[in-house]
Amino acid sequence: MTELVNILAVGLLLGGIYALVSVGLNLIFGVIRIVNFAQGEFVMLGMYGAFAAQITLRLDPYVATVLVGPALFALGAFVYWVILRPLQGQPMMQVFATFGLLMILENTVLALTGGTAYSVNSGLTGYSVSFGPIQIGLPRVLVLTAATVVTLALGWYLKSTMHGKAIRAVAQDRNAARLMGVDVERIYMVSFGIGAALAGLAGCLLSPLYTMSPQIGMNFIMPAFAVVVLGGLGSVKGAYFGGLIVGLTEALAGFYLDPALKQAVLFLMFIIVLVVRPSGLFGTAGAEEVGLREQS
Amino acid sequence: MILNRRTFGAISLAALAAAAGTPAFAAEPIRIGAVNPYSGAMAQYGDEVTRGFEMAAAWINGQGGVLGRQVEIVRGNATSAQEAIAAVEQLVGRDKVDILVGTYVSAMSNAASEAAMNYDKLFWETNALARTLTDRQLPNYARSGPSSNEFALRSVQGALELVAPRLGKTAADLSVWIEHEDSAYGTSIMEEQLRLFKEAGLVPTGVGAHSARAIDVTDSILRAKTANPDVWISTGYVGDTNLLLRAARDQGFAPKAIILLGVGDTQETLDALGPEFLEGVLLVSYARPDVNEAYGPGSDAFLAAYRTAYGRDPIAPQGMNAYVGLKILFEAIAAAGSTDYAAVIEAARKIDKPMNTYEAGYGVSFDDNMQNVRALPVIAQWQSGKVTPVYPAEAAAAGTAIVNLPRG
Repeated sequence: MTELVNILAVGLLLGGIYALVSVGLNLIFGVIRIVNFAQGEFVMLGMYGAFAAQITLRLDPYVATVLVGPALFALGAFVYWVILRPLQGQPMMQVFATFGLLMILENTVLALTGGTAYSVNSGLTGYSVSFGPIQIGLPRVLVLTAATVVTLALGWYLKSTMHGKAIRAVAQDRNAARLMGVDVERIYMVSFGIGAALAGLAGCLLSPLYTMSPQIGMNFIMPAFAVVVLGGLGSVKGAYFGGLIVGLTEALAGFYLDPALKQAVLFLMFIIVLVVRPSGLFGTAGAEEVGLREQS
Repeated sequence: MILNRRTFGAISLAALAAAAGTPAFAAEPIRIGAVNPYSGAMAQYGDEVTRGFEMAAAWINGQGGVLGRQVEIVRGNATSAQEAIAAVEQLVGRDKVDILVGTYVSAMSNAASEAAMNYDKLFWETNALARTLTDRQLPNYARSGPSSNEFALRSVQGALELVAPRLGKTAADLSVWIEHEDSAYGTSIMEEQLRLFKEAGLVPTGVGAHSARAIDVTDSILRAKTANPDVWISTGYVGDTNLLLRAARDQGFAPKAIILLGVGDTQETLDALGPEFLEGVLLVSYARPDVNEAYGPGSDAFLAAYRTAYGRDPIAPQGMNAYVGLKILFEAIAAAGSTDYAAVIEAARKIDKPMNTYEAGYGVSFDDNMQNVRALPVIAQWQSGKVTPVYPAEAAAAGTAIVNLPRG
């Protein structure tokens, strides 16, 4: 029984990582209808941002979020305005552009670091909390907590603020929103910026857990796609619960079947959900089509 | 013929050109194409391997070269098997290399050596590990350094000869968990470890496989923790190995001994885990330049030359392995009297040097597959934030003791 509880805890904490990475990805898809392949690279940049803040300003990676988050927001807004906005109305080209961005970011960091792997240490690194026989690393608890807070805060922001309502209006029908006086282009830019900032936040919080490499973003993006499909395309709540479900699935499959099979089990579930419920657990029916439908 | 000023000038220039040109032609260097990743994720290790080649070339050139010719290393960048083929084509076609050497990555070695065969060029491998490379019996291929089997052998020796006695256990009583990344690299080492343990009368408690790209490996650690092994042996890459060690620390998984293969001996792991956690971790690795001079004669000089050339200590031990590999190649070329692959392979086959002849502690004796069977890695140990050779005993510096075993 202890064994099961332990592996469930591991799964939930892993789910927190996936949720944190996926929330921004799903927001971008929900509003702008772009599958952002470069989202993992934004996470990677967040990690390197935490590293840079540590070696230059001696900042703990958790404190570095106050610098890295806004920096990634600015980068995301810039990327949208300069690269994606001119491709408005060409969704496939936008997807290809994010893939190109992925390669640019990855190879630029590669050139700057020479492929050397770096680590960031926090004052909390190495601390564990024990619940009876279960032992959990404190940095992972913080990630799950952050994912929960971010999901709740983003949900409140979208539901209760004028700007959030404008984002939801654009997500539902950009043409109607424009007719109501919403500055759609600005909403897109801000949404992409928020998505990138959330990735930057994830990067900072994850940096004490991983050894950084320029390719690490790719490791996150594949499961993140499974998360958003499972949870529901465009749904912030879906990204959170999708992340937890994917984390639990991986942990249970890895422990009770074979760690080498956990990805196979995960993507088997991914395909089943695609076939049986294309909108995901919390998604809006038709969202997966709207994402590919040209809107002008 | 009337010898006017113009004719005299022309003849003089021609004579000068001939005088200058003849020795230049005679001293045409032996060009060696070094196929390695110089960009991308593995660039720093590809660079380090080729630094070893370049130091060996500088050394032999200081001795007058090979066959009276200087040696020149020409770099060919490849980050994948496909690029390795293109690099070989470029090195042979454009740079006119005589021989190809490499590589940091087995998949590249595999592709590049077959491409070299198309041009009738020797492919001299120093660093790639996959056993299958020599098992192919490619006629232009030889490996001077250890293969994955030798790394597996050393890890088994570490468990049976270093760990078991300190736990007061026999081989049959020792419980061992083998963890490996799930590509051909990790799997082939795991299979050889299983074979060797079985020969010693030991059945490992468990075997775990994980993806080198996994986001989380806590499940792998929990499986091993449930089995409660005395020894946890892991083969992987830098990122996944660090992740496994972090998960072990967080989960309170504390086997009495940890043995890492191929990685875990660099600053990257020290930064990730810190000296306190790493204290006592055993590492199967190429011999480092600080190996006992009696075990690796010339290793001190190599370290001094490296520091002079690059102004710092080596990044990883792969460089000295590459350096030794090229020294063996030069001997084979000298014995063959040419760079023709068949002649060099035949000459290398006849070289017979005892262990502890070279800086890395190697000797030379090639088997039927042209694998040097006298090239073995060593076991080192993290001690106070430094990697110290501890096995075989003669590789260790005088006064070196094994620490924190069993791990406290």
